[in-house]
Amino acid sequence: MELEEMKLAWNDLSKRVEKQEILNQQMIEKMTKDQYHNNLKKIALPEYIGTFICYLGAAYLSVNVPKLEEPLIQFFGVISIALLLILPIISLQSVRAMRKVNLAAQTYLETIQVFGEQKLRFQKLQKLNVSLGLFLMVIGVPVLLSIQGVSLNPTPLFWMLYFPLGVMFFLGFSYWVFKYYNRKLKATERILAEANE
Amino acid sequence: MDIKEHFTKVIKANEGLIYKITTLYTDEKQDRKDLYQEIVYQLWKSFGSFHEQSKVSTWMYRVALNTAIFHLKQSKKRPVTIPFELEMDRLTDESDKAEEDRIKLLYEHIQQLNLLEKGIILLFLEGKSHEEIAEIVGISISNVGTKISRIKEKLKSQIKKNADYGT
Repeated sequence: MELEEMKLAWNDLSKRVEKQEILNQQMIEKMTKDQYHNNLKKIALPEYIGTFICYLGAAYLSVNVPKLEEPLIQFFGVISIALLLILPIISLQSVRAMRKVNLAAQTYLETIQVFGEQKLRFQKLQKLNVSLGLFLMVIGVPVLLSIQGVSLNPTPLFWMLYFPLGVMFFLGFSYWVFKYYNRKLKATERILAEANE
Repeated sequence: MDIKEHFTKVIKANEGLIYKITTLYTDEKQDRKDLYQEIVYQLWKSFGSFHEQSKVSTWMYRVALNTAIFHLKQSKKRPVTIPFELEMDRLTDESDKAEEDRIKLLYEHIQQLNLLEKGIILLFLEGKSHEEIAEIVGISISNVGTKISRIKEKLKSQIKKNADYGT
């Protein structure tokens, strides 16, 4: 299909569309109400719930970690608290960045560039978030078991088998996550490169 | 005429344009409706500050196209929609098959273009001048010509590729 043929097909489409009435006055009024747009805020709801849960977990560990006796487990506990505080911030930051765009003031090209850059940033943050989350899972287990009073020293299988397996799973999964996000990042970088051509 | 009345009039006069943009930037019916509503909302949000500084169509295309880009990001997280009909089938009831096939083919070709090319070709097909395309897209007038020539070449190679694969 040549460009001129495309123009003819587009004109056919335009004629059809013009014949139809899509919206009435009431619908337009409903669409302009903030009430509708507030629904978009629900997008961030899972992130807010996740933040609350993480902070509850951090509070629980903060109360219990000082009671632990083993220095290694205490160290894991402190790292877990730090991760529980940092992970939600990363997540919320990426959601917030999506909202700061003035769609009327920017040109189409500028919007593609902002879109690409935000997407790139979002994907990088997600990559970091998933990796740190997995790491938290691995180091969090011995901490939680110790808090529950389960001593890990008499169970050599834990340190010799389960923990190394957990670490290996973490490394394997992280590798897969990195590959997945690297593919996505490349696709986004292509959008930006094409926009800047 | 109050501002809301004025806005409704502008939207009514250009609802077909919004429809065409939504069909180019979405694949599913529900997604299309969401984008349609979002564009109307974004137009309303900027209507107060628009004050006819530029042509109505320039402002509309800019907001609608920009909204469509950001909708790509959010399309999987859909808000509740206001029920309204937005169906291509409705538009093709009494149409002839050849015309319908031509429109489908047109969409297929446009879908293979990148975001920037998609916006430029849409404006070109809408009959916008190079000056207006340059203003909406944010590139120089000469660059508009270059991009359109490149799109022509790209379309030609797409057709050749499709023919080679027997599609």
